[in-house]
Amino acid sequence: MHFSIDVDVAMPVEDKSKSLLPFLSSPKLLPNESEAEFQSGLQSLLSQLDNPSPLVVALVSQLNECLWWIKRHTVDKELLLHEAMARLLFKAGSNWMPSGNSKLSVALEHYLDGIAHKDEAALIEQALTDGNLTLSDLRVRAFKDAAKYIKMVDDLIHRQHQTIRHLQRSIDSIDYKSRLIKRMDLELAALESKQSVKGVLSLDDKPS
Amino acid sequence: MTISHHRSLTNQCNALKSTGPRSVAGKQASSQNSRKHGLNSAPDFESSSEYRALVDLIAEEGFSAFVCADIAAGLLNYRRVMDAYYDTYASPEPVDEFLRDANMKASNPIFSELLSPSGSEPQDVRDMAAFFASMQRQERRKGGLVSRRSSDTHKLIRYQRNGIARLSRAVRQG
Repeated sequence: MHFSIDVDVAMPVEDKSKSLLPFLSSPKLLPNESEAEFQSGLQSLLSQLDNPSPLVVALVSQLNECLWWIKRHTVDKELLLHEAMARLLFKAGSNWMPSGNSKLSVALEHYLDGIAHKDEAALIEQALTDGNLTLSDLRVRAFKDAAKYIKMVDDLIHRQHQTIRHLQRSIDSIDYKSRLIKRMDLELAALESKQSVKGVLSLDDKPS
Repeated sequence: MTISHHRSLTNQCNALKSTGPRSVAGKQASSQNSRKHGLNSAPDFESSSEYRALVDLIAEEGFSAFVCADIAAGLLNYRRVMDAYYDTYASPEPVDEFLRDANMKASNPIFSELLSPSGSEPQDVRDMAAFFASMQRQERRKGGLVSRRSSDTHKLIRYQRNGIARLSRAVRQG
């Protein structure tokens, strides 16, 4: 079972009753993620648009979610490496630890972040000595072991980039369409005013 | 070794007796047993109130009725895929840490003790140890939690690709 936070996306369109977002499921955040950060990303994307239509806001919201997924997957790449490093250390350890791999994983995580306790650091250093490894050796071997999964995460990141391109093209096409309509309206207005001036002139030319 | 005729008949008779869901409700429930994300089933957006509301709102932006319907269905479909993507990512198959970290060589005396009351042979102990060792290999091959969620989410790439292509095509044809 997992918990998620539904993001209530703020609607910057003038008339909130015209927003498409209430009819679409909202992007979900993991419990340790900041909703404020997610919202600020969305607001900064929307601030670059001049009076966006409800459809554009809906598309930009999807785009922001893709950027969020890229962040998540990038963190996962490092986590995969840590996971593989812990596995290798566990294998290298001469004694079977009843606490298992998880204690070693936590200790390694703290060790790499530089916040390990004395006993955690000792545990990692002992495991490294047992396996006749240095930390950089371990990292290289772990990269080799986790290459398959790292490639998968790279594919996931690439997919999000492709999705962003699709969304950008869609937003551009809506923007182009609205500009085209505005331009045609202006041209029509200009033609009408020209026509009315001509009409006035031709009336004036008529002999009385 | 070939199976004797008698054995083959016995197998067939037993197969006829095999239990499975018999009631309509049971069959309905078991039909969902292997359901993972539900993205292969055809969605029925047209009958939902969200779809109608989306079509009406998109129509106000000057799209034709046909395009509005396409965009609304595209948006709902894309959200369906992204919801499944999140669910798959957030709830990977749990890691059986005990099985993964167990020392199988050290477990042989435990297997002997477990099997001794039934008067089993040393071969049975070896079979049991081999069975657990193969389960452990499978568990280790799946990797940790991050590996599992990455490989599970990776399977949904094609659904996201198709979902966004459908939405983008609908918007651009307008």
